[in-house]
Amino acid sequence: MDGENKWHKAETPAIHAAGLDLGYRSAQGLNLLASGISFDLQQGELTCLMGPNGVGKSTLLKAIMDQHPPIKGAVFLGKENVRQISDKERAKKVAVVLTEKIPSGAMTVLELVALGRVPHTGWWGRLSPHDQSVVNKVMDMTNIRDLAGKKLAALSDGQRQTALIARALAQDSPILILDEPTAHLDLTNRFEIMYLLRDLAKKAAKAILVVTHDLEVAMETADKLWIMEAHKPLLTGSPEDLMIQGGIQNLLPGNKWQIDAASGKIRLKDPARLPQIDGPAHLSHWIRNAFRKNRELAQPERIVVSEQPFSILLDFADQKEEVNSIAEMIGFLRLRAKKNNSNTSR
Amino acid sequence: MNKLKPYKLLICLILCLLLWLVNLSLGSVSIPVEHLLQRLLGIPFPRSSWEIIVMEYRLPKSITAILAGIALTISGLQMQTFFRNPLAGPYVLGISSGAGLGVALLSMAGTAFGWQFMQASGSYWSAIAAASLGSIGVLVLMGLAAWKVRDSMTLLIVGLMFGSAASSLITLLAYFSAAEELKMFTIWSMGNLGSTGWEKLGLLSGAVLLGLLPVLTSVKAYNAMLLGENYAVSMGINFQRLRWSMILSTGILTGSITAFCGPIAFIGIAVPHLARLLFKTNNHTQLFPAAALLGILVLLACDSISQLPGMATSLPINAVTTAFGAPLIIWLIMRRNFSEEF
Repeated sequence: MDGENKWHKAETPAIHAAGLDLGYRSAQGLNLLASGISFDLQQGELTCLMGPNGVGKSTLLKAIMDQHPPIKGAVFLGKENVRQISDKERAKKVAVVLTEKIPSGAMTVLELVALGRVPHTGWWGRLSPHDQSVVNKVMDMTNIRDLAGKKLAALSDGQRQTALIARALAQDSPILILDEPTAHLDLTNRFEIMYLLRDLAKKAAKAILVVTHDLEVAMETADKLWIMEAHKPLLTGSPEDLMIQGGIQNLLPGNKWQIDAASGKIRLKDPARLPQIDGPAHLSHWIRNAFRKNRELAQPERIVVSEQPFSILLDFADQKEEVNSIAEMIGFLRLRAKKNNSNTSR
Repeated sequence: MNKLKPYKLLICLILCLLLWLVNLSLGSVSIPVEHLLQRLLGIPFPRSSWEIIVMEYRLPKSITAILAGIALTISGLQMQTFFRNPLAGPYVLGISSGAGLGVALLSMAGTAFGWQFMQASGSYWSAIAAASLGSIGVLVLMGLAAWKVRDSMTLLIVGLMFGSAASSLITLLAYFSAAEELKMFTIWSMGNLGSTGWEKLGLLSGAVLLGLLPVLTSVKAYNAMLLGENYAVSMGINFQRLRWSMILSTGILTGSITAFCGPIAFIGIAVPHLARLLFKTNNHTQLFPAAALLGILVLLACDSISQLPGMATSLPINAVTTAFGAPLIIWLIMRRNFSEEF
């Protein structure tokens, strides 16, 4: 999908890999997690890597970071094989934000961000004026200048994550990799962090790869999605294309769940049969939502919902009932379902 | 990295020099500080016996305390940062137990196995040799373990197990040994700063300098390690090299100090915390010099206390360091936000 676009500029991708086999060798033999993985991570784009737990996302990151080389194939950072460059050179090309907890609560935000300069400083780690200006610049870019003197232990989760992103930025690498940066964050912070990353991809022309389980936020912010399934090649493309073509359904194994093509949200599959619902779309949507959750409800022939005043007409062949809230509707239909059941069992 | 705090380092340095003078003046024979200062300017002591006491005994002893203070705290700091464990100390890799086993074999195995290793008096040099061999033996074992396991927590546990194994062997030896030999070993294990004359001091300071060299090249790596191994590696730190540098440096430092002075307790665990507390930083460019100076300060202070001014005898150094160190560690751990500050 991507790369085959006729308007696409043929640049060297920030990360390139073709036909990677990922896995672990042990005494028992080879445990192959994924094979035939190919991808290009483009400069100036925010890419989200998604997939169920245990499918090999972390192993893929480790292959990019040269911490766990692939069984087969090679990862290229720009034009260079990651296996053939020094640790220091690699650190100048890729910076990371990991899931693990930062132990040092006594460190200040400024000290944390300054640690990003480690690959650039000499043996004693002294910051040059250039290093300091980079540190100041990334703190401005991420809007944490006023937190500079604060201890990490005193930060909120969102602030700490932003500070960690600033540290990665201070590494001044063209590639940023973030492992679940929005886990444990509240709704607004999830969007704040992802929009910050999107902004950085655009303004600072970074290639950003984010591992996330947050489909909603990924749909809103990502330029590209990579969907990883067990033992299958990586599915890549723009989130919208993947949604329309149904590729995103691959994230949901089994047939209990589905992705709502209009909203991009995960929900239970519709029951086999739903009553006909007449009325304004924004109201009928929530009635359907209630039916999806409560599959034991009796189903009227027809439901008419109207607003001002809000009322729901439940139309059965033998009975018509009008209720004023969805809770009331559920109560009525549950009772009727029970009656029906006891009638049939009698 | 925030600004250096040279004034705090300067204060520590001045305190070190003052305490050094006090340390030289205290003892069974009290020598006034002003005479020590005058001697420094070339004016001889009013009594010739003072010259011998200071030059032959107290000066080498205080220099030993300084070297031990530096070596043990620098080892402890490296261990705590490397293992990300506030209770790690210079002895967690079993170095001192190895040295102890060496000395125990030398002093007690005679009865246990019917061998005649040493004369009743024993020689200090052979104790050093035995302790060194023991330390080196454990160091080699740890090297093999480090080569085999890559996980640092596993390494820590292996070190502790080596220590326990060595201790149990020592217990066995002690059980079968004669009372006199047991006392000799017990006294060695209480620590002693005063047995290093000038000729041994040369060797000891050489070993300490050698053990400090790997630290100089790893300061930046230890700072990166504050974020944990994975972040450090992502910043281009060669983790394996840091690990070997840590094992070698702490091995040489604690091994040589243990060989010459016996196992000196608590300094290595407690003083790095004191440095973090007083200097309010985790930055190793400041922590290493700060910990070294505080190590000197604390060990000179402990040694001065152990002199029991005005009395003929002196206390074993470990009794003093532990009496000082244990309350400090308890206080540190009871602090509400200790884990956040580490």
